[in-house]
Amino acid sequence: MSRRAMEQTRRITDSFPRRLRRRGPGRPPGRLKDKKDKKEKDKEQDKVQVKVRDCSCSPSQRPPDPALLEMLRRFDLSWEYGPCTGITRLQRWERAQELGLSPPGPIRDALLEHRDNPDVTYSLWHEYEL
Amino acid sequence: MSCAMFSEQAALTAQGLLAPPSAEPLTFPRVPVSGYLDCSQPFQLGERSFSRQYAHIYAVRLAGMRPGLERCARSRWGNDIVLRKLSELQAGEKCCVVGTLFKAMQLQPSILQEISEEHNLVPQPPLPKYIQPSDELILEDELQRIKLEGAIDVQRLVTGTILAVYGSEQDDGRFLVEDHCFASLPPPLPWNGPSSDRFVLLASGLGLGSVSGEALLSTQLLVDVVTGQLGAEGEQSCAAHITRVILAGNLLSQNTQSRDTINKAKYLTKKTQAASVEAVKMLDEILLQLCTSVPVDVMPGEFDPTNYTLPQQPLHRCMLPLASAYSTLRLVTNPYQANLDGVRFLGTSGQNISDIFKYSSMDDYLEILEWTLQAGHISPTAPDTLGCYPFYKSDPFILTECPHVYFCGNAPHFQSKLLQGKEGQRVLLVTVPDFSATQTACLVNLRDLTCQPITFSGFGADNEDRDKEVCH
Repeated sequence: MSRRAMEQTRRITDSFPRRLRRRGPGRPPGRLKDKKDKKEKDKEQDKVQVKVRDCSCSPSQRPPDPALLEMLRRFDLSWEYGPCTGITRLQRWERAQELGLSPPGPIRDALLEHRDNPDVTYSLWHEYEL
Repeated sequence: MSCAMFSEQAALTAQGLLAPPSAEPLTFPRVPVSGYLDCSQPFQLGERSFSRQYAHIYAVRLAGMRPGLERCARSRWGNDIVLRKLSELQAGEKCCVVGTLFKAMQLQPSILQEISEEHNLVPQPPLPKYIQPSDELILEDELQRIKLEGAIDVQRLVTGTILAVYGSEQDDGRFLVEDHCFASLPPPLPWNGPSSDRFVLLASGLGLGSVSGEALLSTQLLVDVVTGQLGAEGEQSCAAHITRVILAGNLLSQNTQSRDTINKAKYLTKKTQAASVEAVKMLDEILLQLCTSVPVDVMPGEFDPTNYTLPQQPLHRCMLPLASAYSTLRLVTNPYQANLDGVRFLGTSGQNISDIFKYSSMDDYLEILEWTLQAGHISPTAPDTLGCYPFYKSDPFILTECPHVYFCGNAPHFQSKLLQGKEGQRVLLVTVPDFSATQTACLVNLRDLTCQPITFSGFGADNEDRDKEVCH
């Protein structure tokens, strides 16, 4: 009987541990959208989790400085490279490159350097649906 | 040499039909498949994301076609013309502007008008054409838009076309057009066609699952001719020269799309199966007969069980269990592009042409087909009035190379034309007729790019003759 009680406390995650997969810069924005629907405290909890996760996975990266974010925002707002909503900044940069519009190189370097940071990879209006 | 191939050869050996069977049965081996290359990768979508706006596809369309149009404009109006963006226009200055066309149509079905409660209007019934004399043309580029007037045919053009206009801005803010030009035919492809007669059969609109079964006899006759089970030895040896069959859409009939069951109560409709299930079973059996003998490319159409937006993805092979056991069956996208024996084929199931027909004054399907080639884009009305996937990186409907055979399916009549371009392009334009209505399919000769229709019709229950007319 005591053995059965012990078996009941076992969970499937013991034999199949739940692993959160890290996805690349082009990951679907499901997580951030859910953030909007949750309550305030959950939002803050998620924010804390993001910070913790970033620090744990890439301890060598500094958080991007405001000048870089400003440069990226200006890249979003420049009309020469086409619309910026609905795609990541890297996808927009590569599209501009293929169309021969010669987007500035430092932007791509910055995007690849901070590819784990959603503030850098996603465009200015990312959290607004469509 | 072999323009009227079937009927001439058939007449020679027709006497053989009345003779006793020969001692040794003759076999006619089909010509082997020499070169086949599927070039429709741009139309195959992998993972699809619809959380994007359509502004991207218009932006890449304009950015992609702008260099070609500027070249055309310079060659047409002189090297020293001024190319301006709309934001740089000066009143009265003669210049050239490249942009996207938008046609403001009063009768264009608008979902916003339909659901607007203020108007309280009944949504308008579908019309054959939505053009009106009061339509206006507006040219848009990346930042601004301007109304066009002058030497430009408002009724003929459709939204989404990229063109270059030459003229000047007037004081009232409109642009007076003196001349306009399109991207014109794309650069030619080298010719590697076969040296002997090779035929490709184009058919569309089989319309299985319709209420009337009249077209079924004609479909069976078509299959029998292609597999060599009809006619005397002359016809059989000719049928052996058919290297491929392309079915350009609408394999199922529009009747299979009936939505009656949606409005009825669930308990009444629980046991009824969709009409398309039975129709797909019939399709599977027909394709099985064809695939045992000849390679078949099946393109989906407007009424087939696949996605609605262009480019339509191939039918899933689980629907055709009998036929997909054969490697000769290829389920392909709509539009479809492939190299058959060195000849580049490009075609659609007709949705792009029929959509332009609705919003333009052009009445002739062949004329519209030629116009899309001159405009350099397979389907300019997508995504405005024709459903389209929200591409963001590149527009796969822009024509970058000139195909050798350019076809569209489900046309009201058969028409074909050999177009010669200025840079040496030779294109055979074919409008493949709707088989369920016209019982006509097309045979394209790859050697010399000629095309002939082949009609199957039964005259009634007692007379089982079939009549083949060959008309060019």
